[in-house]
Amino acid sequence: MNTAKLVLAFVRRNPLVWAFNVLTLALGVGVVVAVLLLGQALDRRFAADLGGVDLVVGAKGSPLQLIMSSLFQVDVPTGNIPLAAAEKLAGHPLVAASAMLSLGDSVKGLRIVGTTPAYLGLYGAKLARGALWSAPFEVVLGATAAATLGLDIGGTFAGQHGLAGGGETHDEFPYRVVGILEPSGTVVDRLVLTGPESVWEIHEHEEEEVAAEHGEAAAPHPREVTALLIRYKSASGAILLPRLVDAMPDMQAAIPAVEAARLRSLLGAGADVVRWLGLALLGLSALGFVVTLFAAVQQRRRELALLRVLGARPVLLFGAVLLEALLLGLAGGLAGIGIGHAMAMLGGAAAASGGGPELAIAPPGLIDLAALGAAAGLALAASFAPAFAAYRLDPAQTLKSG
Amino acid sequence: MLDIDGLASGYGARPVARLGHLTLAPGEAALLTGPSGSGKTTLLLAIAGLARRHAGRATVGGIDLHDLPPARRDRFRGRSIGFVFQDLHLVTGLSALDNVLLAPYAAGAPQDRARALALLGELGLGGLAHAAAARLSRGQAQRVAIARAVLQKPKLILADEPTASLDDEAAAAVCDLLLAAAAANGAALVIATHDRRLRERIARQVAIEALP
Repeated sequence: MNTAKLVLAFVRRNPLVWAFNVLTLALGVGVVVAVLLLGQALDRRFAADLGGVDLVVGAKGSPLQLIMSSLFQVDVPTGNIPLAAAEKLAGHPLVAASAMLSLGDSVKGLRIVGTTPAYLGLYGAKLARGALWSAPFEVVLGATAAATLGLDIGGTFAGQHGLAGGGETHDEFPYRVVGILEPSGTVVDRLVLTGPESVWEIHEHEEEEVAAEHGEAAAPHPREVTALLIRYKSASGAILLPRLVDAMPDMQAAIPAVEAARLRSLLGAGADVVRWLGLALLGLSALGFVVTLFAAVQQRRRELALLRVLGARPVLLFGAVLLEALLLGLAGGLAGIGIGHAMAMLGGAAAASGGGPELAIAPPGLIDLAALGAAAGLALAASFAPAFAAYRLDPAQTLKSG
Repeated sequence: MLDIDGLASGYGARPVARLGHLTLAPGEAALLTGPSGSGKTTLLLAIAGLARRHAGRATVGGIDLHDLPPARRDRFRGRSIGFVFQDLHLVTGLSALDNVLLAPYAAGAPQDRARALALLGELGLGGLAHAAAARLSRGQAQRVAIARAVLQKPKLILADEPTASLDDEAAAAVCDLLLAAAAANGAALVIATHDRRLRERIARQVAIEALP
């Protein structure tokens, strides 16, 4: 015979009431854990996708849109900028590294990015096998992209016009896989990388075809890129380069750190609503614990009086109520952690399927430990007053009145 | 073993019942008689140090529980006094065996599982030791409560209306069980009752005085 056995005997008497209380606590914990896990995953994703990029140069428009399209690869670009201007900026003495991006096509929802091998350097991405692209229509696949397409070295495919898929297929310009990248945990994983010449050739050909349909010759115009990613050589770059870009016609400089912070605050408003909902559920659960434990102490007062008659000290009764709350709090906490992880994974999957970034939900760790501690602490705090009622129970009065 | 002299007890400022004089040696038994509501339960609880003592003394093995500090009083009561109540007070979510072991658990004493099983066997409950208390009949539950009362070989057994609502045969059986258990364990036995059937079995009877 021990206190845990006694407590479980008491709990078994009202299984539905306790199941409801534990479920309420679990839902509260689950919502809070899910919000924290998704926030953590989003922060990691942001940090990884920002890579070593200090500045993004693109066409005028929303700087957040420029960052979303060029770094996180989840929005449409603001437009194009002249290749010559991008090359001039890339050669600026305050630029340590840069990579131009040419967007426009995709395959099975994966973006085909025309760029230079320097792009891989910004993210620390490495080849797992094969080689980097060195001629038009050679591609290197990110690890996730390779798995999605089911292609290996030597495999071929045709791109589709547009970034969202569903556009015209460029069958006459097949791409050939020459390399596969190691998983990097960054945006590079889900990209198809090729030289910018591939993108230019396809779209110049398209323009020629359209012009021919109208019996005209395609008007030659300077080549363009979608964006230029820049890493500064020194802190002076942060002061001078954005000003230099903003002074150029039809171009803007977007600072990833600033835009990411803005995005976080936009998302944070929504997350706050959900977090408050979780906290409200926790509050409701605490109230449920108080009410149920008071009712339980009242319901079993004759048995508690019996324990006192049998020699139990009041502190044993106090401890039994605390232990009951602790066990149920831990049960609610553990269930809540399970619910939280499931919700976070579903949320992450929904974000990814909706065109958002893939979110890697962290395995159980500090957040879960803190949630478990909070659930147990909440249950203990809620049980203090009922436990004190058990402590103060007068066995003689109880037995006499029974 | 038990020595009572002018014990008056109650719950408020005034006592509700008084017991003149009673002395019991180990193995001896007495009935505490009086009509329903006259204060018999209150006096039993006062002997155990649970209800307030207004006057007089009650010593168990030479010790008046009211003279002990609360912690020692609880400990002494748990180890030296066994209780059997009218409505049994088994914890229904526990097995018969765990209900017997509740006594040493509550008193913080070593739990002699073998003795508890042997006692249940002696009371004809060997096959029901692990059955849930909720599944026991009233008579079986009564025997579990008796096993619990004697498990720790107490100096004194206090029984409160143990035969109320039992038929003649069951009432006689319970009374004999209590007497046998007290004798076997060398305990004094006090039964508070208004059941006239017990007067034939226990000669020593003390009427309590209900106070206005």
